[in-house]
Amino acid sequence: MKTEFRRLAETDLREHLGYPDQATSDKILDHLDRHCLAFLAHSPFLCLSTSDSDGNCDNSPRGDYPGFVRALDAQTLVIPDRLGNKLADSFLNILDNGHVGLVCFVPGMIETLRINGTAYVTDDPKLMQMLEQDHVVPSLATVIKTEQVYLHCGRALLRSGLWDVEMQDLANEVPTSGQMWAEASGLTTEIGQLIDDGMAAAYKTLY
Amino acid sequence: MLPLVVKRITPQSTDIVSIDLVHPDGSELPEWEPGAHIDVQLVTRQQRQYSLCGDPADRGTYRIAVLREEFSRGASMYIHSYLREGRTVYASTPRNLFPVLPAKRYLLLAAGIGITPILSMARQLAAGDADWTMNYAVQGDAHLPFAAEIAGLGDRVTINSRDRAGRLDLEKLLAEPQQGVSVYCCGPSRFTDAVEQAMRHWPAGSLHLERFEPKAIVPLPNTDFTVRLARSDRTVTVPADRTMLQALDAQDVAVSGSCLRGVCGSCAVRVLGGRVEHRDSLTTEDDATVMYPCVSRALTPELVVDL
Repeated sequence: MKTEFRRLAETDLREHLGYPDQATSDKILDHLDRHCLAFLAHSPFLCLSTSDSDGNCDNSPRGDYPGFVRALDAQTLVIPDRLGNKLADSFLNILDNGHVGLVCFVPGMIETLRINGTAYVTDDPKLMQMLEQDHVVPSLATVIKTEQVYLHCGRALLRSGLWDVEMQDLANEVPTSGQMWAEASGLTTEIGQLIDDGMAAAYKTLY
Repeated sequence: MLPLVVKRITPQSTDIVSIDLVHPDGSELPEWEPGAHIDVQLVTRQQRQYSLCGDPADRGTYRIAVLREEFSRGASMYIHSYLREGRTVYASTPRNLFPVLPAKRYLLLAAGIGITPILSMARQLAAGDADWTMNYAVQGDAHLPFAAEIAGLGDRVTINSRDRAGRLDLEKLLAEPQQGVSVYCCGPSRFTDAVEQAMRHWPAGSLHLERFEPKAIVPLPNTDFTVRLARSDRTVTVPADRTMLQALDAQDVAVSGSCLRGVCGSCAVRVLGGRVEHRDSLTTEDDATVMYPCVSRALTPELVVDL
């Protein structure tokens, strides 16, 4: 099957898409207004995009109690670091290149909040105390200075039916993480099952 | 947890709001007595403890008060910024770890937002024929919540602020230990610590205090220990890097935790054997038979508990 196709330049692209309305460009702010702050205060989940200085990209999910991303003011956000896989892909990228992009979600809401800005990593003790959850104080956090903030229209989530309860049947059709891990590492299905059981037990520790 | 509706939010000072919670169908709420608190869970799933500061005789309403604290863990800011009348929160039934016990005379001491349990106590004492006085330490009139209600309690109350009676000198007030006087105290750590310090020479049991911040404790290094559950004859290992509550939870042993910092008392477990390193802010006796597994650990390799 053919896997290489014509590669477009911007002029070709604009022939297809045209240009955005002034109203669309106007809704891009450089800070969080009170509505964006309210969105963030109710958001339990986001995807964080980073890249290294060569432009190699990474995107990773972050989730916690709603409002876990704290707005210290209209242009300063903090994301606490929680228990994870210690690969530190996002952190290492941020150390190399501070530019980040976020997409924040509120369950049940089809619009998403997109935030681009510049980030750094800190371990400020007073800040870490503010980010305590379930008796666990994080040791690291990402501080983001916002540069572009805008509400993304809801068509993608509407078309995808992301919040529809019946859509959750899809998960039953996808291999489990144990099955994926076992096959990728050349292990038996029994070991895959053990991995799934181990993950279920490990997921009880969230902080 | 009980779904309760926010009926009214009233600014009580520059940085404190009171929140009246009612049952969605207007029915009566579980009874409570001064000193009681409830757990409140917000739509953000954050759960905090608040003393009831309204009138226990008003069976339809729970009143709590919340201080705006910018550098806190976030629930206070959420409440001040986003909680509105008509919204639903979830509340536990009242729990009272700070009850008013019979005494010859009462001295009530409150500072800042620590007024909440003390206000209900004062109202109750004022309604009876008790002998009582109260000192309330607050920055100034702008920070004075429930001003009218406190004024209504009469001249037994001294407001220690820069706009009123001046700074509260605890060492002076508490210099003479007084037999038969019960002191009830609530406020930020530096206030409760100062009262505790000033009363070090008072008869044991004179001081009743409630903290809403954990007491500063220097714990021993964490070690692994085992917990034997006497009722179910099971054993749970608590690793050094997990709390006993987390270890119990991981083995599906249901103990309801709320504050997770040794303050609220909701996770109390009865100890049948072994010695406890009490790291909570509630325990006053070394040989207490109750422990709080959200923070406390074992001094012996094994604890036996009534679970």
